[in-house]
Amino acid sequence: MSPEPVLAVTDLHVHYRRVHALRGADLTVAPGETVGVIGETGSGKSTLARAIVGLVRPSAGRITIAGQEVAGLRGGGWRALRRRGVVQYVFQDPLRSLDPDLTVEESLLEPLLIQGRPRRAAAERVRELLERVRLDEDLLGRLPGELSGGQRQRVTIARALATEPRLVILDEPVSALDAANRVRALEFFQELRDAGTALVFISHDLGSVAGVADRIAVLFQGEIVEEGPTREVVNAPRHAYTRLLIGSAPTLRSARVARAEREELRELLRTNGGPA
Amino acid sequence: MVLRLASGRIAVGILGVIALLAVLGPIIAPHDPLEGGTDILASPSAAHWLGTDYLGRDVLSRLLDGSRVSVLGAVQVALIALVVGVVPGILSVYLGRPFEWVTLRLADTLIALPFLVFAVAVTALLGNGIPQAMFVVGIMVSPLFYRVARAATLSVARSPYVEAAILAGASVGWVVRKHVWVKVLPPIAVALANTTGVGFVVVSSLTFLGIGVQPPAPTWGGVLAADLGYLSFQPWAPLAPTALIMATVWACNLLADAIRDVTGEAGRALLNTRTVHAAKEAR
Amino acid sequence: MTLLSLRDVRIHDGVGDRDVVHGISFELAPGAAVGIVGESGSGKTLTCRAVLGILPEHFTVAGGTVSLEGRDLAGLSANEWTALRGSTVAAVFQDPASYLNPSLKVGNQIAEVVRVKTGLGRRAAKDRALELLDSVRLPARVYGLYPHELSGGMLQRVLIATAIAADPRVLIADEATTALDVTVQAEILDLLADLRDRTGLALVVVSHDLAVVAQLCDEVLVLRAGETVEQGPVEQILYEPRHEYTRLLIAEHARYGLDRVLELEHVA
Repeated sequence: MSPEPVLAVTDLHVHYRRVHALRGADLTVAPGETVGVIGETGSGKSTLARAIVGLVRPSAGRITIAGQEVAGLRGGGWRALRRRGVVQYVFQDPLRSLDPDLTVEESLLEPLLIQGRPRRAAAERVRELLERVRLDEDLLGRLPGELSGGQRQRVTIARALATEPRLVILDEPVSALDAANRVRALEFFQELRDAGTALVFISHDLGSVAGVADRIAVLFQGEIVEEGPTREVVNAPRHAYTRLLIGSAPTLRSARVARAEREELRELLRTNGGPA
Repeated sequence: MVLRLASGRIAVGILGVIALLAVLGPIIAPHDPLEGGTDILASPSAAHWLGTDYLGRDVLSRLLDGSRVSVLGAVQVALIALVVGVVPGILSVYLGRPFEWVTLRLADTLIALPFLVFAVAVTALLGNGIPQAMFVVGIMVSPLFYRVARAATLSVARSPYVEAAILAGASVGWVVRKHVWVKVLPPIAVALANTTGVGFVVVSSLTFLGIGVQPPAPTWGGVLAADLGYLSFQPWAPLAPTALIMATVWACNLLADAIRDVTGEAGRALLNTRTVHAAKEAR
Repeated sequence: MTLLSLRDVRIHDGVGDRDVVHGISFELAPGAAVGIVGESGSGKTLTCRAVLGILPEHFTVAGGTVSLEGRDLAGLSANEWTALRGSTVAAVFQDPASYLNPSLKVGNQIAEVVRVKTGLGRRAAKDRALELLDSVRLPARVYGLYPHELSGGMLQRVLIATAIAADPRVLIADEATTALDVTVQAEILDLLADLRDRTGLALVVVSHDLAVVAQLCDEVLVLRAGETVEQGPVEQILYEPRHEYTRLLIAEHARYGLDRVLELEHVA
């Protein structure tokens, strides 16, 4: 694959007090690649995402972002790295991830001003961003409460793109959207990938990731149990959990997959006590 | 912004008059507030609009002269509480566990401390005077500000938009300035306006007990205390100082409500729709 | 014989003074399953509530008829409704935890419903509750646990057990799997299908996700803003959608979902 990965996670462990939330995760993302991370409640997917951007401190393991080792960074080091704007993060809930007291313009300016860009240049960049996510300039003076759900999500995406990141982490980016906006958001992520931005797309729902991701990693009980090209993982899953996940995902064509097979897989996962 | 609400205008109007009294009161006082006369406990007359007290001093002059001390005292109380309470309140969320633990325990201790004992102890230690008295009161009400500021900060500190700012490389200072402060301000403004009101009452009652302002010097509370001593001779006399104190406290509370209405999210929406309506009507 | 029949049901919002559901009709035979698909605000939940006689204040059935086992439900008294709910028609909703008392053991809560609905004695009610737990595939030890000790999927099973306590003939599942993980959602859907096969329970499955409904139902209604935009057998909706909104719902799965990469022969 490409020479240097944008993101390389090696044997990452995270403990919350006694809980071993992440048990040795490995993940690499090449420039311009989209990797889907699938996991359900308690799988450790949010922990992985938050550890990558430094919101959670790993207890062991290495994280390399664009060639720089970050797992051991302290406050100042993280701030310097973040100001370069290499990695950005899109949160699940677009309403709560925008300050209710800041206008759209102020929210979009924020990462640019933190970078130390002059105000005028930043304001110009904000207009470019709006155009990129197809939002009207009239919205600049609005507060988040005065936007629709889809508009809000586009504002948070625009904010994440402000610093031209090489890697964007999308944490359940479409879960809070309705069908029409979900399709539009997914279309946009494809465009983003085509434009060369690497994406880590985190979701509980294999369905929303499968159409966008080049590769998929499946997290189960804090471990990546399966990883590979999307087509391979979806069509020839090796791990029982992946098989159950695919057999459980509501799809149109396979709407009537054998119930008995799912029951077998559940039994298998129960008796094996998870990954084996 | 507060002026866009009727209640805000009334509150600011009253407080403006009070502030004016604080500045001009001693100058426009018709008589020397300290000079007694033979005409004691007189009813209102052309010479003495509010009558005289038990030493024959002009009550109006004493109230006017005392307004500066009273107002400054109340403001001082509020400011001390603000600095001693709000700053640690916000920082307790960011400066780590030891600082958090110590400030929380201090706040609890202050709440548990009997007010008068503390006041007497401080005056014994630092001497009896206005600044000492205000200092005591300010410290005593600061836990309120600490709690309010801390609660407001906590509610925003873990929100995704603050995390988004941190992920953009924002420092603690930036986060507090840009996101936290705005959210902390409304509840603090409410607490501040309330405390200023309480400050008046407390300063007045301390003076009443003889802590703070020394007797001949007039304050609103002092005048009230003196009047109360001669209630049987002049049952109407406490009305004037009471009315002043009440009007000020009321205006403070009104202002607090107005600030809350205007700065809250709902308030902003309210004002926005009003502006929109007004703009539509103008067309 | 039809079990449940809605004919041109209109629901009126007394506050906004407008109709929010404009004429919904479907028939449900014993052991059959009807699916209702739509976004929030499409009127799907109000329709369910009308069938259960629990429309929110100010909302009324302004036209059409709802009949259950051939009996018109208009003008039932509160007592008659109470007798009907649970024993003929029952429901489960999205947030199972909010329907249970956090300070009582779930087993006792099921047993209480059994006693009220069937008049059984304490001992018999407990036996019946254990039976119900078994029929929703929960181990007997769940009887003595409190709601906070159970996962979302287990709580939803407990509520299904409660709902079927008095052997209703119709079960309404209103977004009953929305808040759950995909694998847990499949467990619950499998359980519903299983109950339908074993006991002939008829289902009304309500969801925003066409695929969820397609998995369980024979007939599908697609609602949008209180209007039925498309209605028909599942195969017709999936393979010959006529309305653009239905096409959008399908496109979401076909172009961006698992369907895009799934090669059918490899699965199952």
